[in-house]
Amino acid sequence: MAKSFVGGVHPPCRKDRTHALPIERLPVPKTVVIPLSQHTGKVNAPLVAVGDRVLLGQKIGDIDAPIACPVHASVSGRVTAVEMRYHTNGREVLSIVIENDFTDELHPTVQPKNLNDMSAADVLRWLREAGIVGMGGGGFPTHAKLAPPPGGTLDTVLLNGAECEPYLTADHRVMVEWADDVILGLRCLMKAAGVKQGYIGVEVNKTDALTALRQAIAPALDIQIVPLAVKYPQGAEQQLIAACLNRTVPKGKRPVHIGVVVNNVHTAQAIAHSLRTGFPSIERVITVDGACVERPGNFLVRVGTSFADILAVCGLASEPCKLLSGGPMMGMAMHTSAVPVSKCTSGILALSRAESPAGEPMTCVRCAACIDVCPMFIYPTLIAQYGERGRLEEAEKYGALVCHECGACTYACPSHIPLMQWIRRAKSDIYARRERG
Amino acid sequence: MDIKKLTVSSSPHFHSKNSVRRAMLWVLAALTPAALFAVYYYGAYVLVLLLAGIVTAVACEALILMLRKKPVSGALDGSAAVTGLLLALNVPAGAPWWLVVIGSFLAIGIGKQVFGGIGHNPFNPALAARAILVVSWPARMTDWVGPGLVSAATPLAQYRAGNVVPSYLDLFFGFRPGSLGEMSVFLLLVGGLTLIFLKIIDWKIPVSFVGTVALLTWVLPREGQTAFFAGDPLFHVLSGGLILGAFFMATDWTTSPITKRGRIVMGVGAGIITAIIRLYGGLPEGVTFAILIMNACTPLIDRFTLGKSFGSARGAS
Amino acid sequence: MNGSKVFWRGIFGENPIFRLLLGMCPALAVSIAANQGLGMGLAATAVLVASNILISLLRSVIPDKIRIPCFIVVIATFVTMVDLIMAAFVPALHEVLGIFIPLIVVNCIILQRAEAFASKNGVWRSTLDGLGMGAGFTLALVLVSSIREIFGSGTLFGLDIFWFWQSFEPMRIMVSPPGAFIVLGLLIGLINFLSVRKA
Repeated sequence: MAKSFVGGVHPPCRKDRTHALPIERLPVPKTVVIPLSQHTGKVNAPLVAVGDRVLLGQKIGDIDAPIACPVHASVSGRVTAVEMRYHTNGREVLSIVIENDFTDELHPTVQPKNLNDMSAADVLRWLREAGIVGMGGGGFPTHAKLAPPPGGTLDTVLLNGAECEPYLTADHRVMVEWADDVILGLRCLMKAAGVKQGYIGVEVNKTDALTALRQAIAPALDIQIVPLAVKYPQGAEQQLIAACLNRTVPKGKRPVHIGVVVNNVHTAQAIAHSLRTGFPSIERVITVDGACVERPGNFLVRVGTSFADILAVCGLASEPCKLLSGGPMMGMAMHTSAVPVSKCTSGILALSRAESPAGEPMTCVRCAACIDVCPMFIYPTLIAQYGERGRLEEAEKYGALVCHECGACTYACPSHIPLMQWIRRAKSDIYARRERG
Repeated sequence: MDIKKLTVSSSPHFHSKNSVRRAMLWVLAALTPAALFAVYYYGAYVLVLLLAGIVTAVACEALILMLRKKPVSGALDGSAAVTGLLLALNVPAGAPWWLVVIGSFLAIGIGKQVFGGIGHNPFNPALAARAILVVSWPARMTDWVGPGLVSAATPLAQYRAGNVVPSYLDLFFGFRPGSLGEMSVFLLLVGGLTLIFLKIIDWKIPVSFVGTVALLTWVLPREGQTAFFAGDPLFHVLSGGLILGAFFMATDWTTSPITKRGRIVMGVGAGIITAIIRLYGGLPEGVTFAILIMNACTPLIDRFTLGKSFGSARGAS
Repeated sequence: MNGSKVFWRGIFGENPIFRLLLGMCPALAVSIAANQGLGMGLAATAVLVASNILISLLRSVIPDKIRIPCFIVVIATFVTMVDLIMAAFVPALHEVLGIFIPLIVVNCIILQRAEAFASKNGVWRSTLDGLGMGAGFTLALVLVSSIREIFGSGTLFGLDIFWFWQSFEPMRIMVSPPGAFIVLGLLIGLINFLSVRKA
């Protein structure tokens, strides 16, 4: 029996174009743009200057802050610019532009590690040096996630293999093709966190992934595979924990508060890969799809490759209406294809107008569809209406700050109201007012 | 290919096929069997009443939207047609056509558009208009007839007078006098359950509404009697406008609570009022006023039944 | 503000019923037929003008701390006079209006004009104000009661106006209390709608 959570929606999966395609390595581009911030937290300071020669895997940006994670060169070559460039978050971020010399000369720090030789503290230090961040989209530095809460301990590491976003199959392919790495990465995370029990939650529509993972674990008992119902947002932290562990993250708290660490399966694979080869986090698998894409698939790309380079390889059949970084439910719409793939870019979708229709917003008819589907049990339409009128106390009372922006409300709304957009605005207004005091 | 123009918008970039229009068309479809049954039972004249209701409602909606300088296409979103059809289904077969036309006009004009149109009306427009009609032309609104338009009394009136009432089977399949849309409980249930299955209406309101009426009419003695637990709940559920009201009117999106617990409160409240009017009130039937009174309470119900967000400690706010 | 403005604003800009929402009780209760509305309006106008004049004359004499009781005494005097005069000359109308004639004493418009205008202005201007407000009140009452009478009884000032349409069936809700609320609400809404559009 597949486990699930209360609420949620069933958007069409649209995964059949890519889910069976093996991961393919894309040609390395002439230029890469490495944003100095590919994680939640403080922006790194550049460690190289224009004109410097950098080697593959060399650390080129870092900063001394509790929540931060260094970035590395994904090609060898010369630094041609250190400047503000558009990032997939829609803002300009200080980035390092490297001209590829196509030699892939390795930096001397790239050395394989042995998990058995390292203590938990060593693993944490190494995770940071290897630039491991959450690759599901959040980009939270993994070493910081594994720090137990003050006065508490961790007891469970949960891997997120739900991949509930339509179109995306990158995690799916990672689980099928690199199941051993996923399990090794999970064991590494369990060692760093000092926990004995690990779980992997996978939606039941990925039967081959479930089989591959089960084979990779057997016959050990320290890791359990949890089949999950196909429902959005099954992969949201709170919903995943509720479904897999039957535990609830208290309001306003993070999963560590109840001793749980959630990581993406791709993060676990990246950790294992890094452990075995010594490479820091410089490449990842992305799904390229959408009706406008001629050759959809799952591609292993270097961090810093621009969307334009990838779309040039995959081919555009027609001009897309929207270019998304990530899935259609939570992904960001790009205004240009000149943005680089970062560690947390899970997919590139070039959607046609028919795939992403813009409905004309109407008045709220109080049908409560948004309330019924909300996995956080808040009142989207009321938050939107109060937020729109600047009545932030009410917006907060109806749960604005509890929202994790899954967008199920907007998906379900029969009046086509952009609820998510209003809630985001209400949230930022509330935070802005708090800052002003 | 060069990308020239990209749309930038807030996520999500996907949308379900849900729309107000789709839901309203389903409601119309769900009411159609019961409406056709009335045509079959009373004759073709009923078709005139039904069409008069729908056409007047849509025309009034279009006219008022035009006066308000709003897009007139809003009249075709189906909500006006549903209101018009519901109004027509709430008059007796003996009603003149002008009564339906005036009712439809009142429903759209006074019941809906004066408050700002779709989404803003505090009362179910069709029921508000029906209440006005009942007060204005009481004789016309109680002109109950049987097949062939000969005068007849409704089962509830017969029951109140202590006369013989139709059998449960006749009540269930609708072979009895009544308002046009309330007769065939069977066909109404088919439509109502379809809407519940499609998640267009919530099961909580009809179930709690009908359940409360059944419970109270079983437990409480009717006026002039003293024995408790001696009522006839099945008769009360099958007669009058209870099924039509509980499935198609108390569940109106705009005028029913948006909270899950609130919908139960709405159903139970309407059930209590209906049962009390039927057992002790001055009128044989109380569904209309029960729903209207609960419509008025909806904002309060919403306020007092707010649920806790995910992860809130139980008992804490 | 000149004199004509003082007069006209009572009818349009600050109409007591439609804009100030004062004196709603008679507007709802005795507006079943147009003659009731007219009688009620004229009675209130008479009291309003008379009390405005007297209070304006006495405004320098009345001590500030007990001005409200003083106003009430003045108003009550005129109301009693009007009540007795109507009982003597229009007994039928007096019978219909009943308790609502004595209740003019507590009609908000009259006290409000005494407090807000007559106690601060000269006799001439206070007279104009009383006439304007009274006319506005009367017009509003006649409007509401005419609509209710036409639809609720099919007559206007007692005259059958649907003589050409014998099958007309009056809309009984119009002569019952809910009808008063519906008509008054719609009229206020309409006037707001028109004035918002003009602005």
